[in-house]
Amino acid sequence: MEVKSAARPRQVPANQPAKTMQGSLTPLSVLGPQTEEERRRIREKFEAGAGARETLTALCELADRTVRQIFGEVLRVHDTPTNGLSLVALGGYGRELLFPYSDLDILFLFGNEAAEADFRPLIADFSRTLWDLGFRVSSAGRSLEECKRIEEDNAEFHLALLDRRLLTGDEELFERFTKKILAGPEKQARPFLLAELTKLTRERHARYGNTIYHLEPNVKDAPGGLRDFQAASWLRQIAGEQRAGWNSSAAEQEMSGVAVDFLSAIRCFLHYSNARNDNTLTYELQTAAAGRALGISDAASREMHRSPEEWMRLYFRQARVLNRLLLRYIEQKPATQPTLRERLLSAARSTRGEPGKAKPFVVRDGLLEVVDEAALSDRAVTFDLFTEAARTGVPLSREAERAIFYILKHPELRQKNKETSWKTLREILASAYPGMALRPMQRLALLLEVLPEFKAIDSLVVRDFYHRYTVDEHSLRTIEHLQELADTSDPRASHFRQLWKSVERRDLLILALLLHDVGKGMGTDNHVVGSLEALESAAERLRLSDYETEEVHFLIKHHLDMSATVQRRDIFDAGTISGFAETIATQERLQRLCLLTYADIHAVNPEALTPWKAEMLWQLFVATSNHFSRTLDRDRLHASDEVSLLEQVRSQAHGANIEEVERFLEGFPRRYRSVHSAGEIATHFELYRSLGKEPVQSELTARHHSFSLTVLTADRPALFATISGVLAGWGMNIVKADAFANAAGVVLDTFQFVDMHHTLELNPTEPDRFRKSLADILNGEAELGPLLKGREAASKARPPKVTIETKIAYDDASSAQSTLLEIMAQDRPGLLYEIGSALARLGCNIDVALIDTEGQKAIDVFYLTDRGKKLAPGKQELLKEVLQSSLA
Amino acid sequence: MMKLEAIIQPSRFESVKEALREIGIEGMTVTEVRGHGRQKGHTEVYRGREYTVDLLPKIKIEMVLPDPLVQRAVDTILKTAKTGKIGDGKIFLSRVDEAIRIRNDERGENAL
Repeated sequence: MEVKSAARPRQVPANQPAKTMQGSLTPLSVLGPQTEEERRRIREKFEAGAGARETLTALCELADRTVRQIFGEVLRVHDTPTNGLSLVALGGYGRELLFPYSDLDILFLFGNEAAEADFRPLIADFSRTLWDLGFRVSSAGRSLEECKRIEEDNAEFHLALLDRRLLTGDEELFERFTKKILAGPEKQARPFLLAELTKLTRERHARYGNTIYHLEPNVKDAPGGLRDFQAASWLRQIAGEQRAGWNSSAAEQEMSGVAVDFLSAIRCFLHYSNARNDNTLTYELQTAAAGRALGISDAASREMHRSPEEWMRLYFRQARVLNRLLLRYIEQKPATQPTLRERLLSAARSTRGEPGKAKPFVVRDGLLEVVDEAALSDRAVTFDLFTEAARTGVPLSREAERAIFYILKHPELRQKNKETSWKTLREILASAYPGMALRPMQRLALLLEVLPEFKAIDSLVVRDFYHRYTVDEHSLRTIEHLQELADTSDPRASHFRQLWKSVERRDLLILALLLHDVGKGMGTDNHVVGSLEALESAAERLRLSDYETEEVHFLIKHHLDMSATVQRRDIFDAGTISGFAETIATQERLQRLCLLTYADIHAVNPEALTPWKAEMLWQLFVATSNHFSRTLDRDRLHASDEVSLLEQVRSQAHGANIEEVERFLEGFPRRYRSVHSAGEIATHFELYRSLGKEPVQSELTARHHSFSLTVLTADRPALFATISGVLAGWGMNIVKADAFANAAGVVLDTFQFVDMHHTLELNPTEPDRFRKSLADILNGEAELGPLLKGREAASKARPPKVTIETKIAYDDASSAQSTLLEIMAQDRPGLLYEIGSALARLGCNIDVALIDTEGQKAIDVFYLTDRGKKLAPGKQELLKEVLQSSLA
Repeated sequence: MMKLEAIIQPSRFESVKEALREIGIEGMTVTEVRGHGRQKGHTEVYRGREYTVDLLPKIKIEMVLPDPLVQRAVDTILKTAKTGKIGDGKIFLSRVDEAIRIRNDERGENAL
């Protein structure tokens, strides 16, 4: 323990001349070689395989003997009795564990102020001699009186005192000091010391990014280092007897003993190798340590851990033991500190549960606690707990983790529902705080149970100049950087925050992040190839749909592309953007890839995501996103080029010929192909073939938390407005829509909407009635007016949470045939109907529409023509006025 | 000894670095910078929000070279960083009085 020097009331000076001399000290020419010889002997024994404990004790005995000899000699030379001065070893030296290049922490304890002045010359001689013999003395001086008060700015000193040991000097003084003087203050200082130690630990962990998994860890100070063990011991020593559940089991003690020995051996090795108190386990020393199987005595285990990667895995395993030991006493902090109101609401929600069936967990002091531990034998309950953490950002308490750990470690306890489905995992991955679940899942090895592919990168060190963490740690950090986006004030995050909130299929993005670097542990030449193999096996086991697999596949395969484009291409060049956009294909993929890239760079090391890089990434995102929305009608499908698609669609449709499929696909915007799978396109083609029988074809599909409606019909005035109106009339909130037309004028509109009143969800007959109502209104057999009237009152009732100013802009440059109209407005039910109606009233034809929402903001892009041409300036003005007044 | 500072397009950096390595220049200091000369910025709109990009991203390379290498380095940068478009950047040269290697106190060109 280094005692804060600024706070030492009186540092003992080491260079004052002695006043009276009686005889002389043993000359350095004699003592020096003796000490050196002893040090050499200890080192040789260590090199020959002696354990760390033996080495540290031997070094401590050498220091003790030397201290006593020199002190005895200076007393004799200065002709001074020892009354009134004790020499006390503190910190590691006090614990009799002295590393080769560690400081000797010594307290000079004086009986009174006068004694201090008397002993000053003697202490100067003593300290100087020890320094000359190669001992790094770190000293502090205190009188008994001074020790009665608590030094609030020097908690380190009080902590070091906990390990005090009398070296030499006035025994009676030390006795009085320890039994009488310290007894009171130490008891009083307990709350202060507990708080300070917790604070110091948190600060220390934060300095190392709160993780064990550094590529070149500091074996003393980093999380999982020896300091963790010491802090845990201090915490127990200070408060242990007062706290229930703080005692360690015999097994835990044995495990931590092994871990301490292992890390101590490394620290000794580092000191000897560096010839100074440097505790960083560098790549070079990892190789050297692994080569000699440092710290491993068992022959079989020595062989298994000869490679630096495997030996480092062993290091991380031991570091985990020490870190876990400490973290039991230091609770985690929530993702955001909840307000009192949030805590109350959250607690109420968590305890509500189903009637007659209390939930097995509750939120207490911002942490998820398990109240019914037996319920955890049902794995579904355990995953409910993780899902709750991921949904709310409330972390599991350490005790909750211990309870799960206990169940997992006792296979004799009956466990239900051990299989975890994609549905369960997806729920976690799609939440706002997925890392809140994935972290404890990793610590408890449950992540490996659900995603065994992750094992390849478990505690894996891949040597690299830029990365700071092991591959698994890097991967989990990417996810944590994304979840932080919601609450952070980091200026680099400002652009990406909204993107994270509104991105679709967050679960696919998070799954891609978990797997994107798995290939680094698979021995493939290119890690992306390995990661894709891992996805293949995970997708098969978890039974991902084709679409899901394809999207995650895309993200993994291209996970370096956006970063490479930012750094190696001119992102202000239109050619770069259109080339990049071609690879990405859809807006949805672009959003996920952008977030993935942001997170991937951020998690390399704390400085990797410079504001410059964040800005460049954002510029590329914006340019590509705008490219997508502004070039929709430019990039059209030429059916004859789409050989494989034609064949896939034809083979799924009964008795169709290629020409028929070609006629259907010809002229659709390329986006149509990009956002729909071949299977979906085949379904659309079937609808197209039925148009002869029924002029309006529709399909309604239930999705995750929403519905999707596809309408296929011949183009007609106000078509888009009418469909939007029917949806509004039925109380549906449109979150996204596309309107496309092929060369033959067949319109294919897709609407994704939320069934706000659960009309379709709860009434099995309603979906059919809804589709009939839509067809009747489109065919002119029913009126839209009465349907809309019924909804008006309800839809105007709720005031918006955020006010969005309406913005209307035209772009005549992007498309050769159409005028682009971009509208930003406050989202509300019926909005799209109002816009569509205004467009229809003024005779504007919608060639393409792209509708999206971002929270409460609606973002609509229309490609408009007026009798086949761009909108004339006068028409644009008029339309703007009409829209402004109807949207106000 | 001369100090060479080059402000170049980020997209050209990898090629420039590689070309300099080929003529035996390995040591350089690289900074991500923003600025503009004659190439002014532009305004980009994303979903109704306007972003003015008035300071454009560039890479600054700095190196101190022995006199005989300077012209080759300049030629190499000119050749590899040029796209012909506005915004390709600039090279600045200035004289350096002394260089000292901190590790062993070596001085002059030996320290480069």
